[in-house]
Amino acid sequence: MSKVEVERKPELVGKRRALVLIEDRIGHYPEFRDFFSRTFDLARRGLAEPGYVSAPSGLTHALVFIGRSGEPFPAGVEIHALVPELEPLDDDAVDRDLWAILCWMIEGVGGEWSVADLIATAKLLRVPSASE
Amino acid sequence: MTHLPDLPDAIRSLWPYRPNFARVNGWRMHYVDEGAGDPVVLLHGNPTWGFLYRDFVGPLTRAGRRVIIPDMIGFGLSEKPTREHAHSLDGHIANLTALLRYLDLQRIALVCHDWGGPTGLGFALSNRERMHALVVMSTWAWPLPPAEFHTRIFPWRMMHAPLVGPYLLGRHNALAARGIYLSVVDRETFRARAQAAYTAVLPDPASRLLTWTWPRWIPLDDQARAFTRFRWLEQELRSCTLPTLLIWGREDDVFDPATFAGKFKALLPHAEGPHLVTGRHFLQEDSGPEIAARIVEFLQRQGRQP
Repeated sequence: MSKVEVERKPELVGKRRALVLIEDRIGHYPEFRDFFSRTFDLARRGLAEPGYVSAPSGLTHALVFIGRSGEPFPAGVEIHALVPELEPLDDDAVDRDLWAILCWMIEGVGGEWSVADLIATAKLLRVPSASE
Repeated sequence: MTHLPDLPDAIRSLWPYRPNFARVNGWRMHYVDEGAGDPVVLLHGNPTWGFLYRDFVGPLTRAGRRVIIPDMIGFGLSEKPTREHAHSLDGHIANLTALLRYLDLQRIALVCHDWGGPTGLGFALSNRERMHALVVMSTWAWPLPPAEFHTRIFPWRMMHAPLVGPYLLGRHNALAARGIYLSVVDRETFRARAQAAYTAVLPDPASRLLTWTWPRWIPLDDQARAFTRFRWLEQELRSCTLPTLLIWGREDDVFDPATFAGKFKALLPHAEGPHLVTGRHFLQEDSGPEIAARIVEFLQRQGRQP
């Protein structure tokens, strides 16, 4: 549905990380932190390496988890698009990828959180990705 | 050198006031300071800035008041921290306290709206010797329960959920670009005359951080970060005897007048009102001149410094 899949660590030679989204408080609703912890086995892997996902544009995105003293891990997460090292990123493609990652995340969090509510919220706010 | 965003000419003509800046609590805060007389401090909330009170400056200064309009740190022309942990309710109360002590204001009439409520009342209730009167509009100051609206996933909790908030409200500026529009009555007038003023001062995703951070500070249970501060606000309000005026939007569906103005009236039984005007949550956009006139009249009845 959301065309996002967890990947093994990709080949990084010739690539750079482009920071595209920051979340300082992934545990604001704890079930979101639990989703990432479960999906990337973070209790065991900790900060050893990012999580990687493939997205609809064909780009791989690195999920860089953030630890903060005194808070459950992960405290935050950054999403970095892996792009050719000297090339600018395609912002529209990245935006569609981020939307797909959000849908994938909400689907994985589950419970009272639904992709239908995400889409409805984004449509109410006239965010283009929700209508594509 | 002070950097001011490029406001559209039509907006600049509505906001001709000289910018002032003060270092408060470690941050650079912008404020307007017009007129002379007993001070009226007008406080905005999320995601607005002083421009929300553009229809208030003229009537209040002509009535012999000094008008102070700060932009909350994170909004308007004030400094915008780029990390979520830079923001807390207590920190924002301290920001306002620093400004009002720096200006050494006395006999303050405080006008508060949205997050200007908890922050402004936090100042007022801990600096009572500087206070003269309160005007309260579309806000709250108690821990639980919040509005039913704030407990729902669609659209409220989804809007600021982890990663969703930074995407919808950060990358797409959805609260300033769409949220205010949805919370006024006369949407076409708002779009034509005012909307650009709110989006222009939040030009980049990082500058919009507070738009999804403030919603996360609304307590939904007794473990919430601001729960004890809101409990303190409620307790202190019960002993507050400041002359108070309640003004609410008749169509307010975020802080509905029956529940929220009613609760303020229960906490402050001596308060005047609630006076209902045309307006949803951002009632100043629909009824600015009417509200300003009512505040002028209310303050005139409270008397001036001899």
